[in-house]
Amino acid sequence: MKKPLLTIAISLALSAPLAVQAGEKEDFEELYAKAQSTHKDAGTFQWTVTGDRLKAAKSAADNGEHKKAKTMANEALKLAEESVAQRKKQQEAWRMVAIGN
Amino acid sequence: MLKAKVILVSLGIALAIPQAMAGSTPEEDRKEAVEYFKQMFPDVPFEEFVNGQYALNEDRRKQWESMQDFPPYEFAVAEGQEMFETPFANGKTYASCFENDGIGIRQNYPYFDTKKNEVITLELAINRCREANGEKPLRWKKGAIASISAYMASTSEGKPIDIKVPDNPDAMAAYQDGKEFYYSRRGQLNFSCASCHVQNPGKWIRADFLSPALGQPANFPVHRSKWGELGTLHRRFAGCNNNVRADPLPAQSEEYRNLEYFLTYMSNGLPVTGPATRP
Ligand code: HEC
Repeated sequence: MKKPLLTIAISLALSAPLAVQAGEKEDFEELYAKAQSTHKDAGTFQWTVTGDRLKAAKSAADNGEHKKAKTMANEALKLAEESVAQRKKQQEAWRMVAIGN
Repeated sequence: MLKAKVILVSLGIALAIPQAMAGSTPEEDRKEAVEYFKQMFPDVPFEEFVNGQYALNEDRRKQWESMQDFPPYEFAVAEGQEMFETPFANGKTYASCFENDGIGIRQNYPYFDTKKNEVITLELAINRCREANGEKPLRWKKGAIASISAYMASTSEGKPIDIKVPDNPDAMAAYQDGKEFYYSRRGQLNFSCASCHVQNPGKWIRADFLSPALGQPANFPVHRSKWGELGTLHRRFAGCNNNVRADPLPAQSEEYRNLEYFLTYMSNGLPVTGPATRP
């Protein structure tokens, strides 16, 4: 009687944080993958700061610092999105300033 | 009345669009650029533009002139000559790969190779020459390749830059691509090459004094005190990209070669002065 209860208690105690961790890890991986692919989409307009955040996110994740990893991946995604917007805008905008059209 | 307006408007569109689409020829671009910089710096003689910031700033020029008795690249040029003249394992030398044995040809680089459909820079030609002769290619941005390039440039001293864009759609596309790169804003700081070197030459940016686009490639490879050694033009491109927090592209990537093609074309008629020194 005591043993099964204990097992349940232990497994409960263990599973809750594990579930949270697994969720965080998945969240991070999704975010990181999105940041990476958006960064790639910037083509020749990639920003150095995006690459820096991606690296920081990866090493934080490797060290088990999930919160920091997510923050960094989030920042990388925002920067990558801005660089993609810059690429799209410049496709036409450069003509406005070019000497000799 | 209304009809006339509609006709006028549509005429305006009909006239405006083909012109914008056609774009201007490289020669029209170049003339307009020269005119632009002449108006910006009416007291600077055309040939002086090869001296970059020193053409525009008296104090910097004095410092620079005092350095010219013992230019820090002299040793590298001598080394470059020795490498240039030393036969490969197969007995041939660099001379076998170039017109006029590689002497006095710097002013014709980069050129568009209509068979390979790409821009050939001098550094690319040097490494292709090595590979064709069974040697390993050199690293792109500094060291031996910069020394060889510097020696070759020194044999062209004073010759007017003479870049050609042949009447060929691929050559024209490469030129246009370089032009687009030059005027496109990049990096987190959102600057184009032109933001600094067309719109703001003659101004200070932190501790640096901005040079105009005109004449820039004439003095490469360059010995920078910051580097403490010679570096190639693509090394400088990478540095300028990096400064605005844009990821640099690889040296001798198609993008940088096209950029060099455009930029050097703009300097047609100016004398080769490489190697030179810069801060
Ligand atoms: C934020 C301003 C800035 C931007 C943007 C910038 N540069 Fe520069 N560049 C400099 C500064 C500063 C120097 C060193 C001073 C000088 O010679 O202008 C320099 C130097 C150079 C030189 C060497 C000039 C010489 O006389 O030796 C070249 C070539 C050059 N830049 C090309 C480029 C190209 C191509 C781009 C675009 C990819 C670019 N720069 C973008 C600031 C900028």
